[in-house]
Amino acid sequence: MEGLFGLFVEFWHNTGFYLVDYRNIIMILIGMVAIYLGIAKDYEPLLLVPIGFGMLIGNIPIFKGLGLGIYESNSVLHYLYFGVTQGIYPPLVFLGIGAMTDFSTLLARPVLMLLGAAAQAGIFITFLGALALGFAPNEAASIGIIGGADGPTAIFLTAKLAPALIGPIAVAAYSYMALVPVIQPPIMRLLTTRKERLIRMEEPREVSKREKMVFPIVAFILCCFLAPAALPLLGMLMFGNVLKEAIVTERLAVTARTSLIDIATILLGVTVGASTQGDVFLTPASVKIFVLGALSFSIATACGLLFAKFMNLFLKDKINPLLGAAGVSAVPDSARVVHIVGQEEDPTNFLLMHAMAPNVSGVIGSAIAAGVLWSLMKSFIQ
Amino acid sequence: MYGLEAINANNGWAICVVGISIVFSGLVSLSLVISQLHKVLALYENPSKIKAFFKTKKTQKQVEDGQDTFVDLVLTQSQKEVSKQFALLVRTMEDHFSLPRLLHLAKISGLKDPYSNLNNLLKIGIVIPDGEGFFTLNNDRFAQFIE
Repeated sequence: MEGLFGLFVEFWHNTGFYLVDYRNIIMILIGMVAIYLGIAKDYEPLLLVPIGFGMLIGNIPIFKGLGLGIYESNSVLHYLYFGVTQGIYPPLVFLGIGAMTDFSTLLARPVLMLLGAAAQAGIFITFLGALALGFAPNEAASIGIIGGADGPTAIFLTAKLAPALIGPIAVAAYSYMALVPVIQPPIMRLLTTRKERLIRMEEPREVSKREKMVFPIVAFILCCFLAPAALPLLGMLMFGNVLKEAIVTERLAVTARTSLIDIATILLGVTVGASTQGDVFLTPASVKIFVLGALSFSIATACGLLFAKFMNLFLKDKINPLLGAAGVSAVPDSARVVHIVGQEEDPTNFLLMHAMAPNVSGVIGSAIAAGVLWSLMKSFIQ
Repeated sequence: MYGLEAINANNGWAICVVGISIVFSGLVSLSLVISQLHKVLALYENPSKIKAFFKTKKTQKQVEDGQDTFVDLVLTQSQKEVSKQFALLVRTMEDHFSLPRLLHLAKISGLKDPYSNLNNLLKIGIVIPDGEGFFTLNNDRFAQFIE
């Protein structure tokens, strides 16, 4: 009888109910909120639902040593997490993004590319903020990249520079990407006048198929010669675009923009979510990262808007400064937000197509910024 | 270490400036390249434009540097006389004149050996192409060889 009771006690000691910690409960609740936002509010559901469920997976209290947790070297989750820590999933996601991106609007009006460059200033300004808050330079660089509003890039750079911070940085990056419709509009209204928001953009010129075919190759060579560390991300992005534009490789392009990106997103989302174990995730550093992430995102938006206004001082054909907010690379959410804010003032003003130019330029810009930070931080991680 | 002290100690300002500069210069150079891309591709798609481009350039160069491509012939007194008569005919025409028209006027005016003498003027560079299909009189060469 005593042996039977002892077995029950032993089993009880291995259950989640016995092992649970308040931090696990908090993280499970956050995971549920993420799932709710994804499903009920339609905020980046393809990202928030896998991440949210990953949080549930990662925060089930487990008996250490059974090879269940993501941080245990012999667990299945650990092997799946390998794709994150070694920076494998982000380039696969970029391949898919490249295979679904149309660079026509950017090619039609290349000057809009500067807005994508201006928005990246947020990354470097936040880098300074993170340094000031006491983070090491490699960690500060990883936190700054949240301002690029590009989840895969943030994960890729953090995996290289500060692997210990992948959880909070990934969750912050994806959360703020999902919250683009909430974060950006007030900044856009604050920094632009009604008259500016009413500016109509000229119809872009027609872009030839050959131009679209040559662009990814030229862009890849030029950008990677300048910042070779951006190679894994930009290489896959532009390769995906070549597959799309080449037509003869349509089958590969379809795979890249459907099955492959979906698989990579699922694995990335679930494992990043699972990496947010309460005891690892709920630290003062995570709170700082969330605050700095929000700051980074806001600064990036503001920099894009202000630079658009600055460009208007010199341009004959004025651009709608709202487009500057699309310089952050949350594709296509920030472009959609620009369109919506523009239409609030004038329902007949269609900015979506124009906003896609700085938006895709932001993707290229944030990848270059990640490459630059990686190469500049080499001395700090060796 | 916190605040400005941490930024200074980690070379933060320099990293920030260098980073922004590289990202900006990368995207600016890319935008410059793609702004010209459609023009380059238009030339590739229509090679005759390239030929026309170089042909025009060559003709303009010939007009500008005509002195180098012309021959310094020694003319006889009678050839110089005919050349002066050609110059008089040219002055009755537009600044940019047609060669067949000049030849026609020379014939009806009874100039001696109009073809051969006009050929001499072309060789010396007194009558030069303007690059647009017409010709003009080079007064400097005229003064140098005839007057």
